[in-house]
Amino acid sequence: MDDLEILKDLPEIHAGFPSPSQDYMKGVIDLNKELVHHPAATFYGRVVGDSMVDAGVQEGDVLIIDKALEPAEGDLCVSYVDGDFALKRLSLTDPSGGDEKGVWLLPANPKYKPIKVEEGNDFLIWGVVTYIIKRMR
Amino acid sequence: MACFALVDCNNFFVSCERAFQPQLEGRAVVVLSNNDGCAVARSNEAKALGIKMGTPFFQLQKLVASGRLEVRSSNYTLYGDMSARVMGILRETDPALEVYSIDEAFLHLDEVAPEKRRELALSLVRKIRRWTGIPVSIGIAPTKTLAKVAARFAKRYAGYRGVCEIDTDERRRKALSLTEIGDVWGIGWRGAPKLISLGITTASALVEMPEDWVKKQMGVGGLRTWRELQGIVALDAEKPESRKSICTSRSFAEMITSFDELRLRVADFAALCAQKLRRDGSVAREVGVFIHTNRFRPELPQYCPFQSIVLKVPANSTHQIVGAALEAASRIYRPGYAYKRAGVLVDDIVPAEAATAEHTLFEDPEKIAAAVRRRKKENQISALMDAVNNPSSPILRLAAQHTGPYSEAIRHDHASPRFTTHWNELLEIH
Repeated sequence: MDDLEILKDLPEIHAGFPSPSQDYMKGVIDLNKELVHHPAATFYGRVVGDSMVDAGVQEGDVLIIDKALEPAEGDLCVSYVDGDFALKRLSLTDPSGGDEKGVWLLPANPKYKPIKVEEGNDFLIWGVVTYIIKRMR
Repeated sequence: MACFALVDCNNFFVSCERAFQPQLEGRAVVVLSNNDGCAVARSNEAKALGIKMGTPFFQLQKLVASGRLEVRSSNYTLYGDMSARVMGILRETDPALEVYSIDEAFLHLDEVAPEKRRELALSLVRKIRRWTGIPVSIGIAPTKTLAKVAARFAKRYAGYRGVCEIDTDERRRKALSLTEIGDVWGIGWRGAPKLISLGITTASALVEMPEDWVKKQMGVGGLRTWRELQGIVALDAEKPESRKSICTSRSFAEMITSFDELRLRVADFAALCAQKLRRDGSVAREVGVFIHTNRFRPELPQYCPFQSIVLKVPANSTHQIVGAALEAASRIYRPGYAYKRAGVLVDDIVPAEAATAEHTLFEDPEKIAAAVRRRKKENQISALMDAVNNPSSPILRLAAQHTGPYSEAIRHDHASPRFTTHWNELLEIH
């Protein structure tokens, strides 16, 4: 028993030359660390449709959504409007130039019109998009 | 003085579903047990419809057809991930947080100034709701049992905004007088009938009884509850990593009569338990098996036995746990019954290191060496299984286990996507 105890305390001995690359192995880029700032509040979504195509967001792209962030003017947001999740840009000023106050959801595709959120809408801003992951090939 | 906060997720499984399906907000929603058997979670609206815990699904189908009730199959992958998120947020406030169940945890607020506790709890309620979508209630009190009482009030009365604090003797007395005896933690529906028959119907009635009486009628456990209700800490801190037992059980889509069929299921459940033990770094000394006939078919003969096997040396290898479970199953199986459910329970769990130290104390060295060699081999096989298998579709199994994809036998016709853990099931954004 005592012998074993002694053996256990011996330092590890490595034969041969140490690999010079070992020193450089420590810092691997971890995308979770770089792209996910609030892990408990970060969710992923997949884009369906083409309403944001002029903003470079296409069907199949994966969105990183951070629910911890306070939505602000101009943010790309995942909103929930009357039964659907919608990816739109948030605007607090009338896109047609009027000085009416309110909340607008702006598409990035001339095929679609801005949505003005009305009192009767079942509406919430679900989260703010922080990154978009696209598959290029 | 000690101070505990119990954080309790409201109707947790339903809230997880709602977090990704806002259209369920404000509607009656029920989450069904494994295999869509019965209601295991209900929204407040579903409770208001009179739906009870355990109501069989077939009794709810009329409500579903008429559009008054939404049902979802249980999606434990999703609930487990959402739970980890909630606990992660709480851990920032108290790293020594005690996770009590998938939807409850105790925080220690001793170090927070008394006048700041409510504000802290309110900010946690808001933060968890915003970050995860899950609504929680928080009860703050000098003991865990009282914190549970407080959390019930926080949940029930909107005026509390999710946080109820029992911080004065007057509030404690009032809360206890409004708490039915069956709602007290540690008494529950098992202990309540006896106390009610003795005239104890509320928590305050219990507290007024003398110590000797409580000890005689309810034993040491009851005495602890009695003390805790008076604001005296009597429950030890339970370490979250020392789970005492792990259970894997399921209902079958079709009833099973043959032992060959049954043993495949039991072997699978046992293998899952062994895998969980290894993940926790613990070993179990006892392996129990239960099999149940269908209690919703009272016209059929009923039989619900349980048998456990005590291992000589606590283990966590698939080999050992499955072997013991099959032995237990063969002892209780009787032909002539239609079985609807089975489960494996591993009990008397200790950390793996503790068990090794204990069993080397008395035995002779040669036997130990042989046992260690055998164990090593079994552990290597288990490690290989862990490396190759993913939890939802194991590839490597013991010959005793089921071979085909297992999930085809389990019914979950109303399951939501696993939004947070599966790349192909992400939320769709239009």
